[in-house]
Amino acid sequence: MLSKPDSALIIVGHGSTLNPDSSAPTFDHAEEIIRRGIFGEVHCAFWKEEPSFRQVLHCVEREDVYVVPNFISEGYFTRTVIPRELGLDGPLTRFGSRTVKYCEPVGSHGKMTDLLLHRARSVAPGVPPEKTTLFIVGHGTNLNDNSALAAKREVERIAALGLYAEVQSSYMEEAPLISDWATLAAQPNVVVVPFFIADGLHSYEDIPVLLGIASESPGAASAGQASVFAGNPYSLRGKTLFYASSIGTEPGFADVILDQVSAFDSTAR
Amino acid sequence: MNRELLKSFTQWLGDGPRTVGQVRISRAAENWELRHVDDSGDLTTHTRWQDARALANLTDEGAFRPIKTTRDLRRGWRLMLASIEDVVRALDYFYPAMLGLWNADMRGELVVTDLRETLARQTGMYRVTQKITDAQAQQLCASHCSLCMKTMLWKIDSTQPITSLVDEKHERATGYSLPLLCREACNFLIGHARGVVKKAEKEAQEAASSQASS
Repeated sequence: MLSKPDSALIIVGHGSTLNPDSSAPTFDHAEEIIRRGIFGEVHCAFWKEEPSFRQVLHCVEREDVYVVPNFISEGYFTRTVIPRELGLDGPLTRFGSRTVKYCEPVGSHGKMTDLLLHRARSVAPGVPPEKTTLFIVGHGTNLNDNSALAAKREVERIAALGLYAEVQSSYMEEAPLISDWATLAAQPNVVVVPFFIADGLHSYEDIPVLLGIASESPGAASAGQASVFAGNPYSLRGKTLFYASSIGTEPGFADVILDQVSAFDSTAR
Repeated sequence: MNRELLKSFTQWLGDGPRTVGQVRISRAAENWELRHVDDSGDLTTHTRWQDARALANLTDEGAFRPIKTTRDLRRGWRLMLASIEDVVRALDYFYPAMLGLWNADMRGELVVTDLRETLARQTGMYRVTQKITDAQAQQLCASHCSLCMKTMLWKIDSTQPITSLVDEKHERATGYSLPLLCREACNFLIGHARGVVKKAEKEAQEAASSQASS
């Protein structure tokens, strides 16, 4: 088991100025890792909330520091914003006697496939996968964001297992659009898993509206309403639809964060 | 946990009471009691440091508090904690990074970054903030930073202090209150700076097109 009493862990996330849902999973995973007592210190840092990327290193005592991005894919934030704000110049940066080790984002980890499958099974217990279309939903069209590629990669991995009759990636803002789910899916059962790091406006409102299981709402004011998940399953357009919360809320993400630390150590050896 | 911070904080806290922002910390038998500085009497008791996250997240009206150092911490709760370690963890939810920056400041290790340097670093949609004028920046601080309890340590640049705020805004709290320090413009302010620049650009364009058509 991983034991790093002389090291600090910083989990970095995006955060939001509109609602607490964006940072919630990052804090949850940090609390779980604190509970396990693995690291001498555990901190969170965010782009849109505090502690900010610019504050967090001032709060750290240990000289051996791991930074794990709680992001779904490599992209603008992991390659540009986080290194710039933390002052990193590569995977390994030295500030005097302190070493900062910049790990891969959680979404790149191989366990993501298992977590997606676990989430899909949990939301539709007892539903035969051989009569089910599974959608992995990404955002699409984000600036310099590879989340669409990451969703496609996971779809290929899950499809290769041959468990589900169909596995498809779809997006909010680019084709194939999740709003076309009923025509895209050939199976009577449909499971939709948002490939996002946190629940929030996209998973609580935008995707449910595109699926047709919720109506337009006032936006940020209603964030935090998780009631859309309580309505499962939805009988709609001749199919039975199961809608899951974002993959990043899976408790197993804490283990993925720790795995990314171990992966850094393995690569550095 | 940061052991140096824990040691400094334990020393500063003594037997209490002390305040950090709007949180009062005092001894209550074997425990430490945290509550809103203006609260007394019948309060809802919580017992886990993790409970501080939910207590800090929303105002009494249910609005999200993206910046935790605004003067709108909710009322009506009492957080009973058994150890100073748990008090530090709870305070990290009530006032994120503030104990860490205070400790770094006491050790002479706090680095302050002026606004122009912060803006020069921006990329993507925030690069445009580099166009903000000094006067607009002063106004921006007056309208937004005045709502925050932090002590502002940064300037516009090395030669221009922020003059649009009261003098006390630049003076560290002392004694029984832990100073809440702002070492660099926050991203909340940078977001608003973008709005200021975009609005000015739009107004300039409208004025130019109105002039051209007349």
